[in-house]
Amino acid sequence: MSEAPETPELPKTPETDPIPEADRRESAAGREALAFVAAVAGWVVPGLGHLILRKWGRALVFFGSVAALALVGLYMRGNVFKPDTGDIFGTLGFLADAGSGVFYFVSHSLQKAGPDISRAAGDYGTRMFAAAGVLNLLCVLDAHEIAQGRKG
Amino acid sequence: MFSHFQAMIIFALAVSAAFAFLTKRASGERWRYFLWAFFAFLLVAVAVGWIMYPVAR
Repeated sequence: MSEAPETPELPKTPETDPIPEADRRESAAGREALAFVAAVAGWVVPGLGHLILRKWGRALVFFGSVAALALVGLYMRGNVFKPDTGDIFGTLGFLADAGSGVFYFVSHSLQKAGPDISRAAGDYGTRMFAAAGVLNLLCVLDAHEIAQGRKG
Repeated sequence: MFSHFQAMIIFALAVSAAFAFLTKRASGERWRYFLWAFFAFLLVAVAVGWIMYPVAR
């Protein structure tokens, strides 16, 4: 059986290749840089990544949600884990808490009385602050995907 | 200080709102998802509380 003849490659013209390959590469690099900036910004300040991407509604809701969880958690005197707890659960707690960005950095200033996990409210506060961090990490992923063009 | 129920309401509101915006794009879809998720959080929390009740004492 004879093989089909190979079709010759046509030279690229504006009709066959409307976006030159060099421009496509530059556009992809630009998107990656924007995705990185949006992700870091969104981690440092919840919602800032989406603000950079001009997703105003999402920026407001994500900031409000993360802030509400973090501030209520601190108000309830939840524990905010430090990086050097020495055990795996403390480390996981730190990673979750640190996800809330600026709220983690100012937590010790906001929670003047310190944590009180001897009562149930303090325990709930610990979980709420951790939830704030983990939720913000989801928002960071969302900003990254939007900047890369994978989501609207 | 917030009671457990108040803390649960705040948690459910915040997480439901965020999830609605994370997963849905249209406004109507977001509202529907938000309400569904909010009441699901409350219902499941109360249900789990009652399931744990026999072993809590």
